[in-house]
Amino acid sequence: MAQHASFASLNVGDGPAPLVFGPLTRTDFVRYAGASHDFNPNHHDEIYATERGNKTVFGMGMLAAGYGGRLMTDWFGVPALRRLRIRFASRFWPGDVLTATGKVMAKNEADGVLECEFTLVNQDGEVIVRGDATVAPRT
Amino acid sequence: MDTSAAGKTFPPYEFQVERGKIREFAAAVGDPNPVYRDPAAAAAEGLPGIPAPPTLLRTFLYEPQTSAEALGVVDWSFIVHGEQEFEYFAPVVAGDVLTGTQRILSVTEKESRRAGKLAIGVIETVFHNQRGEKVQVLRRTLIETGQRIAD
Repeated sequence: MAQHASFASLNVGDGPAPLVFGPLTRTDFVRYAGASHDFNPNHHDEIYATERGNKTVFGMGMLAAGYGGRLMTDWFGVPALRRLRIRFASRFWPGDVLTATGKVMAKNEADGVLECEFTLVNQDGEVIVRGDATVAPRT
Repeated sequence: MDTSAAGKTFPPYEFQVERGKIREFAAAVGDPNPVYRDPAAAAAEGLPGIPAPPTLLRTFLYEPQTSAEALGVVDWSFIVHGEQEFEYFAPVVAGDVLTGTQRILSVTEKESRRAGKLAIGVIETVFHNQRGEKVQVLRRTLIETGQRIAD
């Protein structure tokens, strides 16, 4: 793995290289259903989903949350993560391209801890999830 | 939702964090990080084994449905998963046997101009490992709306 960002190197406003996911497919949703045990048919059964007024199946919020988790662990490493929160704002669909970006919101010198925020937006700039995280990076 | 459900607790449940599940989950969230696949890569980051990806333990909340049922939801098509929080206290690695203990933290009601009457339930699950160490705490916020949301 590439060297993770250090506490000393980061300041408020800094962010990682954005990550891009997609174009997403129904297969991506089915793969996450199997891995996560989320078998809500809205995420894999086209007939069920459209009968209920959806244009097609849609992705799981926790799949987008997983993409956000990767943004944080690529940036800081798995052991650095202290807290992660994801708020679900909108749905996403097959064909969507989600872009994850993040930045440092606060730097706590006394504890060596950073407060960060991240978002995943679709190709139209619509926010799909908002997240925030507390991390203790290498010094 | 049943506002009197706040404070309810549920019997602990146990499961093993399997290396194959970690690899499968990492692939499903599009994460090629070698720490999820290669013990040497995990050790190079100071981890005592192949680590769980940050959102993995959420998937183990599907096992006990009792706490979600205790919220008193009448029709799940009015429910939206509003928020999910994870706190990390110690590494979770492949082979760990975790015990999850759930309780309903709160159930509150409020009026929303857009969505009608809302009920907001928060379920907390505390996970301990086989050595009795608290490893993660998850908080899942479910919102019951006055109209069908995801369905």
